Amino acid sequence: MKTRIIITIIFVSLGLIIAAVPENTTKPYKLTANELLDEVKSGTQFVHPDQVADMVVQQDPTLQLIDIRSKEEFEKYSLPGAINVPLNDLLSDEWKPYLNQDIYLNVLYSNGTTRANEAWMITRQLGYKNNYVLQGGLNYWVETVLNPEKPGMTSPDDEFAKYNYRKAASNALGGGGAIEQKQDVKPAKLPPIKKGNKKKMVQGGCS
Amino acid sequence: MGPLIVNDIISSNTNLFLAFFIGIAFGFVLESSGFSSSRKLVGVFYGYDTVVLKVFFTGAITAMIGLLFFSLFGWIDLTYIYINPTYLWSTIIGGVIMGAGFILGGFCPGTSVCAAAIGKIDAIIFVVGIFIGIFIFTEGYPIWKPLYMAEFMGNLKINTFFNISSGTLVMLVIFAAAVMFWIGEWAEKKFKAPKY
Repeated sequence: MKTRIIITIIFVSLGLIIAAVPENTTKPYKLTANELLDEVKSGTQFVHPDQVADMVVQQDPTLQLIDIRSKEEFEKYSLPGAINVPLNDLLSDEWKPYLNQDIYLNVLYSNGTTRANEAWMITRQLGYKNNYVLQGGLNYWVETVLNPEKPGMTSPDDEFAKYNYRKAASNALGGGGAIEQKQDVKPAKLPPIKKGNKKKMVQGGCS
Repeated sequence: MGPLIVNDIISSNTNLFLAFFIGIAFGFVLESSGFSSSRKLVGVFYGYDTVVLKVFFTGAITAMIGLLFFSLFGWIDLTYIYINPTYLWSTIIGGVIMGAGFILGGFCPGTSVCAAAIGKIDAIIFVVGIFIGIFIFTEGYPIWKPLYMAEFMGNLKINTFFNISSGTLVMLVIFAAAVMFWIGEWAEKKFKAPKY
């Protein structure tokens, strides 16, 4: 019986200590220029169109497509379920809850990759997580997902599997010439704003 | 410093290799402390043996305290720790199915494998049942999917949900554990194990 009381006292006192000390004081978030360069070099920010197409077809609730082109371009054509955050307004408070959250997988896209990459670098520098870039942008999306090219007869089986998959995805996403088709997919809900969690700002570096 | 894989201290292959040995040790400890006996396991539902409750809660509070202190000392970066995404309805329904299976079969998924490994026939049948369940779930996935994906809450932690610090939550869980252990021991005295 005595050892139980001792163990209980140890656990309870450890609990009291951990409740009293402030959280995570030792490691504030910092992203140095070097770390950012490493990320850019390794290209971890890119998501392949096949993966995005798969998530769109599956109606994966964790996916949030973000169109960073201008409003006119967005209205002309956008991916199903995408929201429009023009690069110029990237830092406005309106979009902050979308960009700085830890629920959805944000995939930024523009026509090519340059502008989406710029947006990604800014969000990364601010310490936001879960933001990614659609590899190759919309141009590559149209090329690979909407109008997949039939592989040559001598191509490996993988290529054919990929082609068949893309063809199916293309049908589901209104590809094959029918680019203007509107999809009835609503944008994901605004993530709940976390309270009591201080925003980690970049310290030092090139803020 | 930690987590080890994210910071390239060990490779993911080394990680699997270590997991293999930790898994064997885990199974050994489970079996040697009597967790392959379904009478001991279901005792927690009938009140005559609450060792399951005590073991799981001791494990939980030890891990909680360990992680928070490691984070405090800067040994581990908690932002890299994987948090299971919460799909509220599938969590609740899955919990109910799992609990019902636990009472009916006398094992939870982990201990059933442990008991099957020492040749218990009921455990082997239980494992077959798990595979039937997996089969039904995967084949009927389109039917379950709307429910399975419903009420997605992100990688939510209980303390952020209640808007308190993780330390406070850990303290509350420790108090809850102490009270539960005390009630458990009282129940063990009150309900005697049936004789077989």
